[in-house]
Amino acid sequence: MNRVLSWRAVVVGLLVALLPALPFMSKFYLLLAFDALLFGAIAMSLDLLIGYTGLVSFGHAAFFGLGAYSTAILLERGVLSLWACLVAAVLVVGLYALVVSYFATARRGIYFALLTLIFAEVVYTFFRYTQTFGGSDGIQGVPAPRLMPAFAIDTPLRNYYVVLAYLALAYLVCRVLVASHFGKVLVAIRENEDRARFLGYNVQRYKMAVCLISALLTGIGGALYPGRSAFATPDLMLWTVSGEFIIMVMIGGLGTLAGPVIGGAFFVLLQEKVSSYVDWYFMVIGLVLIVIVLFMPRGLLGIRAMLGFKQWRATA
Amino acid sequence: MDYLVAVLLPQLLHGLVFGAALGLLALGLTVIFGLLGVMNFAHGELYMLGAYAGIAVVGVTHSFWTALIVAPLAVGAIGAVTEVTTLRPLYRREPLYGLILTFGLALVFREAVRQIWGGDMRRILPPVTGSTPLLGMVYPNYRLFLLAASSILLLAIWLFFTKTRAGILVRAAVQDAEMLDGLGVNVPRVFTLTFAGSAALAALAGLLLAPIFTVYPQMGVEMILLAFIVVILGGMGSMGGSVVAALVIGLAQSLLTLWMNPQRVAIAIFALMIVVLIVRPRGFFGREGVLE
Repeated sequence: MNRVLSWRAVVVGLLVALLPALPFMSKFYLLLAFDALLFGAIAMSLDLLIGYTGLVSFGHAAFFGLGAYSTAILLERGVLSLWACLVAAVLVVGLYALVVSYFATARRGIYFALLTLIFAEVVYTFFRYTQTFGGSDGIQGVPAPRLMPAFAIDTPLRNYYVVLAYLALAYLVCRVLVASHFGKVLVAIRENEDRARFLGYNVQRYKMAVCLISALLTGIGGALYPGRSAFATPDLMLWTVSGEFIIMVMIGGLGTLAGPVIGGAFFVLLQEKVSSYVDWYFMVIGLVLIVIVLFMPRGLLGIRAMLGFKQWRATA
Repeated sequence: MDYLVAVLLPQLLHGLVFGAALGLLALGLTVIFGLLGVMNFAHGELYMLGAYAGIAVVGVTHSFWTALIVAPLAVGAIGAVTEVTTLRPLYRREPLYGLILTFGLALVFREAVRQIWGGDMRRILPPVTGSTPLLGMVYPNYRLFLLAASSILLLAIWLFFTKTRAGILVRAAVQDAEMLDGLGVNVPRVFTLTFAGSAALAALAGLLLAPIFTVYPQMGVEMILLAFIVVILGGMGSMGGSVVAALVIGLAQSLLTLWMNPQRVAIAIFALMIVVLIVRPRGFFGREGVLE
């Protein structure tokens, strides 16, 4: 094992794979675990942008939603192969991400956040008002996708393993990327964009590339969503959902990859637990975010450093 | 000619009225962005708080005019407290943290309002009723009052920034806060007061528009996107640009509704922004190297 994949990650992965064997894992908890892993993976791919490159995307909900719609539209029309859905999602999200990143990376700083936000809002408005795709109701009640012609992913358990496989692959991709020369250039851009440019790197091309990768990973996650929920609605693309993705990254810890996975899972569980007791859970989530920004900028993973377990490393 | 008077002219005035109020909102956003480098995601919630504070004051005093003074002051005070307790500790950190923090603040404000006043749509009755014959048509008095009030406020703000020492201090802080600090000015206080002022302006815009629109906890979320577009179009950090862009957006929106249904208008506004950004990447009045 080299630095790309630590033993600890493998052990954690195996434990998560054994999770459904626990006696209390009912269907409800399996679906909850699905959400935790899915949003963990999406937060991780967003971390490539925020944590490593220093670009805050406020439009990731559009990548997620476009992936979900690609799958839902195909399933609704009788194309049941999961692979076809994934290919469609990659094409749609990839094309959209190229356009957005071309405009958004041309400008620095805050413009990136605002342009990704506004492009995402265009996509949201389009699906919200296009009756072909169900308008504000979205696409409801789609059939389950099939891994193979005779193997439908129609139980929570099967969905759980699909999303686990996606998380594991996405984690590997991100780890390899971050450890590579490409990843080092991204960190250099975050630390000092001008210097990276003077060294001869085409900064915009690097930014566009990382946007595309992050968007595709998020879009694939979105493509898996209708398999679990049987729907795709425009609400998946609201800009507040993009904000929630950012909250997940912040909770977990910027620039750590593993942190946002934990942050995403934590967010999903917190939302589930708090909203079953009180109806003001957005207040709780807002306060958690404020406390983390003010007092724990390294997120949950930063707690280790606070307790003195291990020196916290900025990035790989 | 009939078309002109009966359809086009009222719509033009509507656009002007809305644009001027939008200008008040965007102006505060631009100034805060110039000062702190933070795009304030909670600005829409301050706008919403203004309307709700207005409802509360009207409920007690039965006077819209009292509310017009008390509500912005109250929201300004909330803004000052928020700035001191949450944004001030972040001055030395990357603007990224401030941006994310304001998103958390927005969630807290919105939920607090929903808990206190409930999620229903509410209305404030216009304090001025009736309408006036104007250029061959009849136009509601309240909208005329709104246009006059917004214009006077915009003029007052312009005078504040060009003629008073306090206004010049704020502009100096936008240019170079460190230098201003070196000259012995209490810069954190300038920041706090400016944030309070921008909050009060947002609240004023919220209350002024409340009799035309409806009041509900999500109202800020929809306005803030428009305000962001205005700030980008005008050129980041350019106050004059914000006002011009607000009027352009206000007019474009109300004129386009003549020919399109509302959702197409929303997309047309986005398209307008994207076209402007291709032609003039820094917006109408943005200068190279400013706040990038």
